[in-house]
Amino acid sequence: MPWIGRKDAEAFEVFYDRHGGAAYSLAYRILGERGAAEDCIQEAFISIWRSGGRFDPTRGSVRSWTLSIVRNRAIDVLRGRAGKAPKLTFDDEEVLESRPSGELTEEEAMRHETATEVRGALSHLPDEQSKVIQLAYFGGFSQSEIAAMLNLPLGTVKGRMRLGLEKIRGELAEGLA
Amino acid sequence: MNANGHDRRLEEVAAYAIGALDPGQVAELERHLAGCERCQEELRWLAPAVGALPEAVERQAPPPELKQRLMAEVRGDAAAEEERGGLGEWLGGLNVGGLTWKPLAGLALVVLVIAGGIGYAVGNGGGSGGAHTTEVEPGANGIAAKVVTEDERGELHLAGVKPLPNGRVLEAWVERDGIVEAVPALFAPDQAGRASTTIESMKDVTAVMVTREPAGGSNKPTTKPIVEVPIET
Repeated sequence: MPWIGRKDAEAFEVFYDRHGGAAYSLAYRILGERGAAEDCIQEAFISIWRSGGRFDPTRGSVRSWTLSIVRNRAIDVLRGRAGKAPKLTFDDEEVLESRPSGELTEEEAMRHETATEVRGALSHLPDEQSKVIQLAYFGGFSQSEIAAMLNLPLGTVKGRMRLGLEKIRGELAEGLA
Repeated sequence: MNANGHDRRLEEVAAYAIGALDPGQVAELERHLAGCERCQEELRWLAPAVGALPEAVERQAPPPELKQRLMAEVRGDAAAEEERGGLGEWLGGLNVGGLTWKPLAGLALVVLVIAGGIGYAVGNGGGSGGAHTTEVEPGANGIAAKVVTEDERGELHLAGVKPLPNGRVLEAWVERDGIVEAVPALFAPDQAGRASTTIESMKDVTAVMVTREPAGGSNKPTTKPIVEVPIET
């Protein structure tokens, strides 16, 4: 993202228009409050703007890099709260995208497809695998914390997490085939 | 490492990929990853699965005010960056506190020519003992300037000045015999964007300029001038 180094505000606006919606949705999913999600996005995107181009294209897409920054920031906020209480639901409806497909651009349509695949993959997971993955990714809990929370042996949590991720990855790979 | 040992590692890699590895284990796993191609391959394989998780979240529309706040901060940063960049170039030929200010030898002429960039100066009056006015029309930043000199005293008037960020003031500078000096009185724009200050002595002044400085002023300019007025001598 050479525009970061150039401090090109117009390019940054395009970047926000492209990824801000997904980023805000993720922050809201993790934090469960609109105000906290807005603060999180403001801080995360300003850190990207001021980062001077630390993005490494060999380690993934701009979008996944951006969303990982937002996720980490949101988890930090969550951990900073007294009595960590992430907004976690395990209802499949929670992950449904609400926009009609007719409004999607080609790029968005691909993401919509990815979202559909991930949603499908998550829904196909046994509940116990889906739960540990969601607690880890959206709740920011470590394996040990999840084990304590669910009253499970640590080894069981580790196994479920790996199996669940492998299944999601497998379904994504099938979708690309 | 045997197969069971590696299965344990692969479980750790999965937890690492999703950010759930216990903090005390991260450094050890990273050391292992550095020398284990199989685990590196597993990490690369799992990365798209982790990266896709946020895409499945129910879409929420961010409020327009969020973008407005964000872009206001970004544009403020960009403007400050531009000021810092321009300052370096500007100060390249400028020495403050006893050394010469080389560009200003020809600045009066340059400013007259580059009307689109900085504006241009117009002198009138000018009789010895009478008032002499030098005006600079609005440049790209929309700021117009006028210096009215009578006897040795000068009045600097600015128009079109945007509100200053908190903790900032306007500071005027004069170039005299190749030396840049601060004008003691700091000033700020009013709500209409007008700002004025007095220059006690215009004797031998060849240029007047204004910068934005931290509250309390500076001993030397720390930002690029928002306006420069060449003074005919």
